[in-house]
Amino acid sequence: MTKNQFIHDLRNPLNTISINAELGKLTLERTGDLRKAISIFEVILAECKRGSQILDDAKDSHFLNGIENDK
Amino acid sequence: MADVLLVDDDKRFLEATVQLLQLLGHSVTAADSVVAARKLMSNHQFTHVILDLILPDGSGLHLLEDIPENSKTKITLITGHPSIKSIVKNLYGSNIGYLIKPIDLQQLEALFDEKIAFSSRNPSGELHFNYLVGESAPMQHLYEMIARVATTNANVMLLGESGVGKEMVAAAIHYASNVDGDFVATNCGAFSRELIGSELFGHEKGAFTGAVQRKIGVFEQASKGTLFLDEVTEMPVDLQPNLLRALESKKITRVGAINTVDIDCRVISATNRAEQDIAQQGCLREDLYFRLAVFPIHIPPLRSRKEDIPLLVRYFLANFNREYDGEIGVSDESLRRLIDYDWPGKVRELRHAIHRAYIMADKDKKLLVLPEKLTSPFSKVQAHAAAGIRVGKTVEEVERELIESTLEHFDGDKKQAADILGISLKTLYNRLNTYGEAGL
Repeated sequence: MTKNQFIHDLRNPLNTISINAELGKLTLERTGDLRKAISIFEVILAECKRGSQILDDAKDSHFLNGIENDK
Repeated sequence: MADVLLVDDDKRFLEATVQLLQLLGHSVTAADSVVAARKLMSNHQFTHVILDLILPDGSGLHLLEDIPENSKTKITLITGHPSIKSIVKNLYGSNIGYLIKPIDLQQLEALFDEKIAFSSRNPSGELHFNYLVGESAPMQHLYEMIARVATTNANVMLLGESGVGKEMVAAAIHYASNVDGDFVATNCGAFSRELIGSELFGHEKGAFTGAVQRKIGVFEQASKGTLFLDEVTEMPVDLQPNLLRALESKKITRVGAINTVDIDCRVISATNRAEQDIAQQGCLREDLYFRLAVFPIHIPPLRSRKEDIPLLVRYFLANFNREYDGEIGVSDESLRRLIDYDWPGKVRELRHAIHRAYIMADKDKKLLVLPEKLTSPFSKVQAHAAAGIRVGKTVEEVERELIESTLEHFDGDKKQAADILGISLKTLYNRLNTYGEAGL
């Protein structure tokens, strides 16, 4: 995995989280539809897991080698 | 209400954005490929088309070719990398909007409201390649050069007067190149002769007295990235062969090491000397020049792009407002004075002047307060240098400039001026009377 690919892959779930968070806010503000809001939060949680998986996959990538390990 | 075509292959993003736009009161049609979007566009004219740049069956940019030139359809590209703005602008003009990931409600709303669209952007307009401000013709030419060289790995030499922003341009090239490595900037004029090898190439532990541990040089720090060598013409000529060898062989040897290390970075060098001076004054070896200046770029001084001054002023103001949590603006009169001034110290001097005026700002009117005279010690020196001897001037003109400059230097003290000029006080008075009588 290259650094650019990593950034691109991580930006996509962040983007989906951002747009769903805005949708959740607007849904509650304008419709008060709780069931709809809950389904949006589930999408956000799934995207957080996707982002976490991308971080796990990148843990051993060469471009992260420059960052010091915890002692 | 807008009639929107949204094209993106990320299903979760597409679904949420369709719903969000519908909640905002717009009509939305979704497509997940170039083919599907093309089909929809052939049957219907949308008021807005929002496009992902990379789609499974091609680039979203291909769809731009289907839109007639005089169409009123507003195009918006979704991108994760703001540098794409400048590249697309060169290809398709400036009438394209952008959504930068991660997208929020403010960005989306701005697409449909011209007023918000203007104010929510960077108040100075757009930053090109994340670092550069300006929309003038010389800057457009510079952006084109940056966009072109960014796609190659050629070494670049930046030429321009002190203060034009050479490091900013170097950082912009690095940004546009989208490379994996870092941007490492170093000043060749600041190296001591003894340590230059260590700074550039690094050293091993014990290589010389004081080398208590291994050190990586700037070439290795910039691996897969960009190395910016500022003031390269100030490097001692007898030490330049070491740099030449590294550029030619793409290998370096740390001081005190036996093995070589491969290097893989673009070198951007910079100088404030004029091209003919570099050759005439022998401050850079010819062979090194050709290695460094594969792609020379001249950076225009501020006086040749005065139309950019308002953009720069607003950009600096926005930065200071953010830094100091203020809301200071600039009056039309102040802006006019800033445009009229010649800025011999270039953008650096302009920034300095805005910072000073910001500190002096009128807190009630919330406006910048400029000093009575826009000038710096360096602008005076340069004005005098420009006044010096050149072919075509008469002896009288040169004499008069010398007398006036000396008087100004001593704040009008005629006795001191006469002493320094090596003339009697009487002669000085006579000369000044002559200038006065001549109405000069």
